[in-house]
Amino acid sequence: MKTESNVMYIIRLAAILLIITSLVAAALAGVNSITAPVIARLTAEKTQMAIEAVLPGGGEAIDFAPVDLVSKVYKGENGYAIEVTPGGFDNTITMMVGVDFEGKVLGIDIIKHTETAGLGAVADAETPAGQNFRGQFVGTSGSVAVTKDGGAMDSITGATITSRAICDGVNAALACVATLG
Amino acid sequence: MNFKKQFKEGLLTKNPVTVQLLGMCSTLAITTSLFNGIGMGLAVTVITICSNVLISALRKVIPSQVRIAAYITIIAGFVTMVDLFLQAYIPALAASLGVFIPLIVVNCMVLGRAEGFASKRGILESAVDGLCQGIGYTVALVVVCVIRELLGNGTFGGGLLGPGGAGIQIIPQPFPAMQIVMPVGGFLVLGFVLAGSDKLMKYLEKKSKKKEAAK
Repeated sequence: MKTESNVMYIIRLAAILLIITSLVAAALAGVNSITAPVIARLTAEKTQMAIEAVLPGGGEAIDFAPVDLVSKVYKGENGYAIEVTPGGFDNTITMMVGVDFEGKVLGIDIIKHTETAGLGAVADAETPAGQNFRGQFVGTSGSVAVTKDGGAMDSITGATITSRAICDGVNAALACVATLG
Repeated sequence: MNFKKQFKEGLLTKNPVTVQLLGMCSTLAITTSLFNGIGMGLAVTVITICSNVLISALRKVIPSQVRIAAYITIIAGFVTMVDLFLQAYIPALAASLGVFIPLIVVNCMVLGRAEGFASKRGILESAVDGLCQGIGYTVALVVVCVIRELLGNGTFGGGLLGPGGAGIQIIPQPFPAMQIVMPVGGFLVLGFVLAGSDKLMKYLEKKSKKKEAAK
């Protein structure tokens, strides 16, 4: 080490780190190329299932310029399925809201979220608590809010922020359908 | 190499959760159902084994001045791989654990084993250490999970058993205390589990001393 100058030593350290990070990056790229198509397929399947869950008979995507929280609109013979992306406690929640032609919610389904396990994640859980939470939106119209904000929706215990986000999503979908007529 | 000793250390006397108090964040956050506990435990075990092996193999290549940066890069790489694989092949678990999978990067247990063990020992020994510590972590997590789920939700096996994966109802509603599933319950239950494991260790120590004295 003593024969090596300081500059050379620092360059050597940096070079070793560079090699390690490059190898890790290459390995990640390899894994990603395997898993990315699988994840994309799963997401597509989940989206399709969500449309069918909230809109009896399913629907086809229609031309729609993304606005506000609404990213996609699907139209079926019973109404619309609106894909909305409200901001949750941790990150954006992607969810599907079914709305009939009279502007009444047919159902909601969460496609993707990163809410806290055991609290916000209940919104997407197939447990009685999760089903009750999603079920209370069915039949609502106009705009919705959690009880804490003066609305009629019971929020998930310990997850008011998540519950508010779901309400935001439903409101955005209802507002969107109102403009579509 | 002494597999039995390493196993005992990982499970009890040097358990990452109850003795070393490492990885507390995930221990408190995700221990709300059996499924979460087992899933998180297995994910951390796999990551600890992989990072221990690689870091042990590279221990003579990595200069000590940049070792922490190198370890974190390697650990983050494995965590991201596990995250991608879970999303692709076990989406239910990925959805349930959410952000806590990427957060394994900062689980001190993984870095602790890299710095404290793998950077000084052989590859095989490090792999065994990762396995034993991982099992210890998983067992501690599952114990906390079972207690919190039973007292907080009144169920057993949430995410795995029962209708729709809601678990088998043991304590009927409305008797379970929801607070136990909340953060405050996590601290409470963890405290009792730490005390319990301490008591158990003292008891075992006494017993082995008595045995020696009898000889």
